[in-house]
Amino acid sequence: MAPAALFLAAFVLWPLIRFVWNAFYDISPIAGGPRAYVGLQNFIDAFASASFQGASLRTVVYTLVVVALEFAAGLVVALIFAALGRRSTVFRTIFMYPLMIAPVVAGLLWRFLLIDNFGIVNELLVRAGVLDNPSQVGWLSDPAIALFAVALPDIWLTTSFITLVLFAGLQTIPGEILEAARIDGARFPTMLFRVIIPLLRPVIAVALIVRGIDAARAFDIILIQTNGGPQESTTTLSLLIYRTMTRYGDIGLASAMGTIYLIGMLLVAAVAVTAIWRPGEAR
Amino acid sequence: MNGLETRRRSTKAILGVMLAVILVLYGFPFVYLLLTSFKTPSEAIAVPPSVMPNVWTLENYVAALAKEGVVPALINSVVTAVLSTLFSLVLAVPAAYAVTRYRTPSGRVFVLAALVTRMVPTIAIGAPLVETMRAMGIGDTSFALAIAHTTISLPLSIWLMASFFEAVPDEIEEAAKMDGASRLGALWRVVLPVVSGGLAVTAIFAFLASWNEFLFALLLTSVRAQTTPIVIANFQTQFGLDWGAMTALAAVYSLPVILLTLVLQRHIVAGLTLGAVKG
Repeated sequence: MAPAALFLAAFVLWPLIRFVWNAFYDISPIAGGPRAYVGLQNFIDAFASASFQGASLRTVVYTLVVVALEFAAGLVVALIFAALGRRSTVFRTIFMYPLMIAPVVAGLLWRFLLIDNFGIVNELLVRAGVLDNPSQVGWLSDPAIALFAVALPDIWLTTSFITLVLFAGLQTIPGEILEAARIDGARFPTMLFRVIIPLLRPVIAVALIVRGIDAARAFDIILIQTNGGPQESTTTLSLLIYRTMTRYGDIGLASAMGTIYLIGMLLVAAVAVTAIWRPGEAR
Repeated sequence: MNGLETRRRSTKAILGVMLAVILVLYGFPFVYLLLTSFKTPSEAIAVPPSVMPNVWTLENYVAALAKEGVVPALINSVVTAVLSTLFSLVLAVPAAYAVTRYRTPSGRVFVLAALVTRMVPTIAIGAPLVETMRAMGIGDTSFALAIAHTTISLPLSIWLMASFFEAVPDEIEEAAKMDGASRLGALWRVVLPVVSGGLAVTAIFAFLASWNEFLFALLLTSVRAQTTPIVIANFQTQFGLDWGAMTALAAVYSLPVILLTLVLQRHIVAGLTLGAVKG
């Protein structure tokens, strides 16, 4: 166990400590340049900055949209799989493939699909009579909808994860419980909300927490589609931290933003774990 | 059989149709990428677009593979992913074994570490890591990138391997020890063969984590060790919007891992769902 612990200490914990440490300094972007201790100034600057506030809000919206849609779609598909029983094997295999695709590839692919002039999505919408012309909707160029459009590849890429986890969870529900509910005259919606979802709660919690964490730090999938634009409308925190660090060279401020982000994540995850997962509770 | 399974034929038919629709929607994006990769470069961006290629050609593949840096990047991706998989297994197997066999409370710490490591934005450890790697004299190498990728896969690998070791009855080892095997000998010759399926799953996940990773690769490599995701991303700036070549390289990069999954489907589902369902 020691080597693994040492490895994580050297290559995760130590860099992280240095990162948080940097948040208290004003650091010259030139390597080896001067650094000055500035106390909490970087944190104050971060909270006061409009881009940080905007990016925080967008991160929350993006995460909620991704997780909510993935959960809804994932649960529906998992229930269909369960209803089909053994015949769903082939479908489950096919359904899994996006999980293996690199987020960069998924992002580029969806950008290609959603582009306004030669994108196939708008073309098909025109052919179906939904749009009048292909340039009517600029999925990734209209600031009002871009944040939702960039979420599409993320949803496409990882809904399968939720489906597979929920499907595995469904397999553990004893048939007698559902049978009993059915005999009591419970219809499907009642069964779903009163029996199935409560029984699946620990599994749902893990799936949502894991996906929530990943969605909140989505980086490459957004970078490749919009690079944070148009008009910053898709600049989430991870993009803002990256840009503050590499383009503006403000390592201190970027570190402060990253530290706030990490603390926020820990708090939300702690709440989520205690509120819905409740590990250790008899089940 | 599971109680959710429906028995009525009509319901089943409706569900089947729903599923077919979902699968078409779900499968279409990648199928369209494949079809586009076989169009000519100009047809790939023709207005209006068509689904099927008018002319089937390998032009995009030839163009993509001929681009400077593409073949080295593919080699780098393989080297980095294989190295990272090895690091991950070598570190995770003893750690997971210790966690399960000695039943220390530190097992919980590892699971917690896995979760917390996942929460850390890559950029937060990426930037300091660049300095560390440079200081170690291994800046811009596949070796350094493999180490960085191992930070992603190691916690999950430990978690997965621990669940597989837990399923091995103590008696097997006890018997080996009765026969005079040392603890290490018992692990190597008796326990590892039993969990070989689990090793495979863990290896696949470590491999995929490295294969698809972007930000560490962006930060830690510049020329020599650049991996394919970075090169694919550069197609759009460096060469203008070369969509045809992009779809071809994306297909070359994604198809092997997709086929691998189809072959090893059952193992991968086990790996994905194990941690979650066991809680």
